[in-house]
Amino acid sequence: MAEGMKRKLKQLGRSKVWTPHVIEDIQAKAELGHYQIRGFSTFFNIPTLDQLTFLPAALTRLPLEGYREFCETKTVLGGGKPDLVSQPLELDIPIYIASMSFGALSRNAKVSLGYGATAVGTCTSTGEGGMLADERQASKKLIYQITPSRYSLDLEHLRMADAIEIAVGQGAKPGTGGVLLGAKVIDKVVEMRQLPKGIDQRSSVRHPDFLGADDMAIKIEEMRDATGYRVPIFIKLPACRVTQDVKIAAKSGVDVIVIDGMEGGTGASPEFLLDHTGIPTMAAIPAARKALEDIGMYGKVSLVVSGGLKSGADVAKALALGADAVAFGTAALIALNCNAPLYEEDYAALGTEPGYCYHCHTGRCPVGVATQDEELQKRLDPEKAGERIASFLRAVTMEVTMIAKSCGKSNVHNLEPEDLRALTLEASAMTGVPLAGVDKVVAPWA
Amino acid sequence: MVTLDADALTPRELNEKLRELMARGEEVVVENPRSRHNLGVALPGPGHVTFKGSVGYYCGGLSNGGSVEIAGNAGWGIGESMAKGFIRVRGSVGQSIGASLRGGTIVVEGDAGPRAGVAQKGGVVVVGGSIGFLSGFMAQRGKLIALGDAADGVGDSLYEGNIYVAGHIHGLGIDAVITKPAAEEVDEIESIIAEVGMRLEIRDWKKVVAGRKLWYFDKREGQTWLKV
Repeated sequence: MAEGMKRKLKQLGRSKVWTPHVIEDIQAKAELGHYQIRGFSTFFNIPTLDQLTFLPAALTRLPLEGYREFCETKTVLGGGKPDLVSQPLELDIPIYIASMSFGALSRNAKVSLGYGATAVGTCTSTGEGGMLADERQASKKLIYQITPSRYSLDLEHLRMADAIEIAVGQGAKPGTGGVLLGAKVIDKVVEMRQLPKGIDQRSSVRHPDFLGADDMAIKIEEMRDATGYRVPIFIKLPACRVTQDVKIAAKSGVDVIVIDGMEGGTGASPEFLLDHTGIPTMAAIPAARKALEDIGMYGKVSLVVSGGLKSGADVAKALALGADAVAFGTAALIALNCNAPLYEEDYAALGTEPGYCYHCHTGRCPVGVATQDEELQKRLDPEKAGERIASFLRAVTMEVTMIAKSCGKSNVHNLEPEDLRALTLEASAMTGVPLAGVDKVVAPWA
Repeated sequence: MVTLDADALTPRELNEKLRELMARGEEVVVENPRSRHNLGVALPGPGHVTFKGSVGYYCGGLSNGGSVEIAGNAGWGIGESMAKGFIRVRGSVGQSIGASLRGGTIVVEGDAGPRAGVAQKGGVVVVGGSIGFLSGFMAQRGKLIALGDAADGVGDSLYEGNIYVAGHIHGLGIDAVITKPAAEEVDEIESIIAEVGMRLEIRDWKKVVAGRKLWYFDKREGQTWLKV
C-alpha cells in the first residue's frame, strides 16, 4: 500500500466514531447486502464481574486455612420440589458445561467435555442438535436441551437425561434462533437435524407448540409426565428483562432458571446482536435473585448463571451474588485448545492468529473444536482434551474454595453479597453491592 | 377392554395406567376427559385408547406407538414430537397439531388451527377441513394434507416438508411456492386419505414447497422478507 494511503488510513483510524472496524463493517455491508456473521462473543467493553472484589476475613471473622481445610462444593440443582422431582441434579462442584450443540462443536469436542465433566463429578448439556450417543456415553450426567427447533427430540433421549432444559434464548443473541452455517451442516449433523445438506440453518426462535407462560406451564407438566417426574426442568433465558422473565419462569413451574448474560458465546451470530443486545451477567444475577425473593421462591427454584465467566473468582462472585451454580461455555472451549498457538498456518488462512480467532462460524476451527471437518477434529484427542477440561475445572474449583475460605466460609454456597465490594460506581449501581471504601451502595434508588 | 375414569384419577395417575395397559396391547376407554391437558402423553404401542370427549393440550405428544382416538375436539400440540403411532380426532383441533412430528399419522376430521404441522420432521398429518395461519411453518420433512382450505402464510420458511391443499390457498408464507403435484404423488396422497377413511370432495390439489431462497445466507434472502 502506498505511503500516502497508509497515512490517510491512520488519520481515519483516529476518529472515535469512524474507527477502522466501523469502516470495514459499513463497506462489508455495502458489498454483501447483509450484516456480518461471526462466532465467539461481544467485543464491546461492558461492565463485568471484574468490577467487584472480595473482602476476605480479617478481625471481623475467622478465615479457614486456604491450603489445608476442606470447603464444601457439592451443589444440588432442582431440589426444591421433591414431590415433582425425585432425582435433582447433584454435582460435586458448582460449575457445569453450558449447552453447546453438536453441530456448532465437533463430536470430539462434545465427547471431551463429557469426559472432563465426568472426571470432576459435574455435568454437560446437549445443546440444540439433539443427543449424540457418544456424548451420552462420555457424560455421567447430561442435561438434554429442548430448543424451538426440536432437532432429534426423542422420548427415549428425554428419559436418558439427568435434567431437561427448555431453551428460550441465549445471551449472545437473545430473541433470535440458532445459527449454523452450511460448512457445518454435513454428515451426522444432517442426519440428526434432518436438514438439507449444506444449508445455512437459522433455527426458529418461537417454540412450535407453546407461545406464552401459561402454555409453557402445561409443556413443563408434559415433560415431567413423560419422564416419570424424575428429573428437574431447567429453563435457559437470555439476560434481558430479567426481573419479569425470572418471575414468569418460576411461576410457570420450572425447577432451575439459567440466566445467560450478554457476554455469552456462540458458534455463529449476526455480529450486531452480540454487541447490542441483552444485559451483562453481573447485572443479571442480583436482578434474578431479587425476582425470586420477591415471589418467595429463592431457594426453592435454583439459579444458574452463564455468560463470559472465566475463572474461580468469577464463579465465587456469581455465587456470592446469588447463583447456585454457573455454566462455562467459551472458557471450557478455550481449555480444549480454542485459540491455542497450534497450527498457526490454519489461523492465518482464516485471516487471524492464535489469541484473536473468532471464526467458529466458518467450520474451519484450526484446533478441531468448532468444526465438522473429519481431518480437523482429529487434532482434538478426546481423552487428552477431557483431561484438560478436568484440570481446568479442578483449578477453578480450587480458586473458588480458596476465596470462600479466605472469607471464612466452609461451604462455597455460603458466599454472600456482604463478602463483596464494588470497584466502580456502575458495578455498585448494577448489583447493589456497596462501593469499596465508602461502604455505601451508589444508586439513587438503593 | 378396560375403562378408566379421568374424573377419578389425576392426569399423572391416568397416564401411568394408560402406559402400562397400552404396552400390554389393551383396548382402553377413558371416560370424562373434560379437556384436561397432557392426557395420553408418551404412550407406547401396541394398545389403543379412546377418549370419550374432548382433550386439552399435547394429547398423544411424544408417543412412541399405539393408537389414540379422541371423540371430541382437542387443544394445542396434539401428537407433538410423536415418533410412531396413530391419532384420530373426530372433531377439530387448536394450534400446532403435529408440531415437530417425527413419524406416525395424525388425522383430524374437522379443522385445524394455526401452525398445523409446524417444524414437522416426518410422518403424515391429514386434516379433513381447513388448516390455520402459518401452517407448515419451517416443516423439515413429512406430509401435511388439507382436504379443505389453507389460511394465509401457509408453508412459511419451509425446508423439505410437503404441504398438499385440496381447497383454496388464502396466501403463501415467506419463500413458499405452489407447484402442481405429479400424478403419482396425487395417487399417493389420495391413497393415504382413503386408508384413513376420509372422504375427498375437492380434488384440485396444490402442493406447497420451499422456494429455497431462505436456505442460504446471501443477498437474495433479505429480498424475501425485507420488502425493500
